[in-house]
Amino acid sequence: MTDVKDMTERTKKAVDARPGPDNAGPKYLPGDPGVRGGVRGDARGRAKDDIAAMIRVDQAGEFGAQRIYAGQISVLGKGPRGDILRHMQEQEQHHLDSFNAILTARRVRPTILTPFWHWAGYALGAGTAMMGEKAAMACTVAIEETIDDHYRQQHDALPESEAELKDTIERFRQEELEHRDIGLEHGAEGAPAYPVLYGAIKRASKLAIWLSERF
Amino acid sequence: MDAGMDMDIDAARDRLVAAVLTHVPFDGWGNAALDRAAADCDMAAETARALFPGGARDLINWHSRWADRRMMAQLDADGLEEMRIRDRIAHAVMTRFEQNAGDREAVRSALSFLALPRNAALAAELLYRTVDDIWFACGDRSTDWNFYSKRGLLAGVYSSTLIVWLDDRSEGFEETRGFLDRRIGNVMAIPKITKRARKVGAVATFVPRRLKAFRTFWPARATRG
Repeated sequence: MTDVKDMTERTKKAVDARPGPDNAGPKYLPGDPGVRGGVRGDARGRAKDDIAAMIRVDQAGEFGAQRIYAGQISVLGKGPRGDILRHMQEQEQHHLDSFNAILTARRVRPTILTPFWHWAGYALGAGTAMMGEKAAMACTVAIEETIDDHYRQQHDALPESEAELKDTIERFRQEELEHRDIGLEHGAEGAPAYPVLYGAIKRASKLAIWLSERF
Repeated sequence: MDAGMDMDIDAARDRLVAAVLTHVPFDGWGNAALDRAAADCDMAAETARALFPGGARDLINWHSRWADRRMMAQLDADGLEEMRIRDRIAHAVMTRFEQNAGDREAVRSALSFLALPRNAALAAELLYRTVDDIWFACGDRSTDWNFYSKRGLLAGVYSSTLIVWLDDRSEGFEETRGFLDRRIGNVMAIPKITKRARKVGAVATFVPRRLKAFRTFWPARATRG
């Protein structure tokens, strides 16, 4: 504990080469204790933060989706489309379980807004379902389309080193697209005030994504 | 930058912080103590300052995270699976205290630094990191609001127990251990209180539940359902 002679030459060079008090340059470099990005803090720390935000928002999204279907099923569950809704909810539950596992394995904190999504998701699902079956399908289309965009962006942004996560996201994206197609098949576009409903829900889900990434 | 070099730099920081601890009671956290620690480590003072460019802030930050890492390593070795949750938490907290038993003066000095309003953000971050590590080591894998309530409650328990520990003169920190157990007991009583509160809340949800009955009259159900 009394010497640092085993500090390698490269380390010494890196330390000596950093900007001192006299020459210009940033006071902090990646890897310093004061730099955000954790104790391992380094250039990778920042990228790790970005990936953490991705996992957080995905987990929140699947949680919300699961709640939306729960809300729709509470109203339409006994109707002719009940089984389709239950099938989609099961898939969302599987997505949620997967993201829960990834979240805890990587020690990413969940979004702080969970209680709000719990309530808002259910309300959106039940609310659109009360407007009719077609409105419920329009809600599905708007949301799954937003998620498709979102997953596509994430897939492109993730580095090659995250192949497994990329695969998972791609697989889930395909299933979300299926849900969108189911929605369209069942007359989503025939919903009352479809463009307005579609636009409002799309905007709301984009806001939800923005919030869940940050909080 | 490759991993090997980062490890070297981190190891050098660990050694410096360990050496700084002996000087903090006299010089306080800061560059004076850091310079002396560098001399103890046969390191140039400039190198040491380059490793902790923020002075006291960075030293205290690193010291807290270093203590967390040592605690995690010990808890890993102890194996907590057999214990009840409350025993796991108590064991984790006491492990961290025992590991730093020799450096209470340095911890006290760090706390007074962190108590300054401009360091509040750092103080909150370090407290969060510590309680987050403890909950992780104790097997918490929650993915909802519980994640925050658990950490919030433990933050209160941990920080109040820390104050008791600083002045604990009893053999083997018996006093601290007792205080900690009582605080955990307080927290364990919360579900009982919320249960009672929920009974009151049930009255408030009575009206919405009645409204559900009207659902059958909604056109969505009448015509299409």
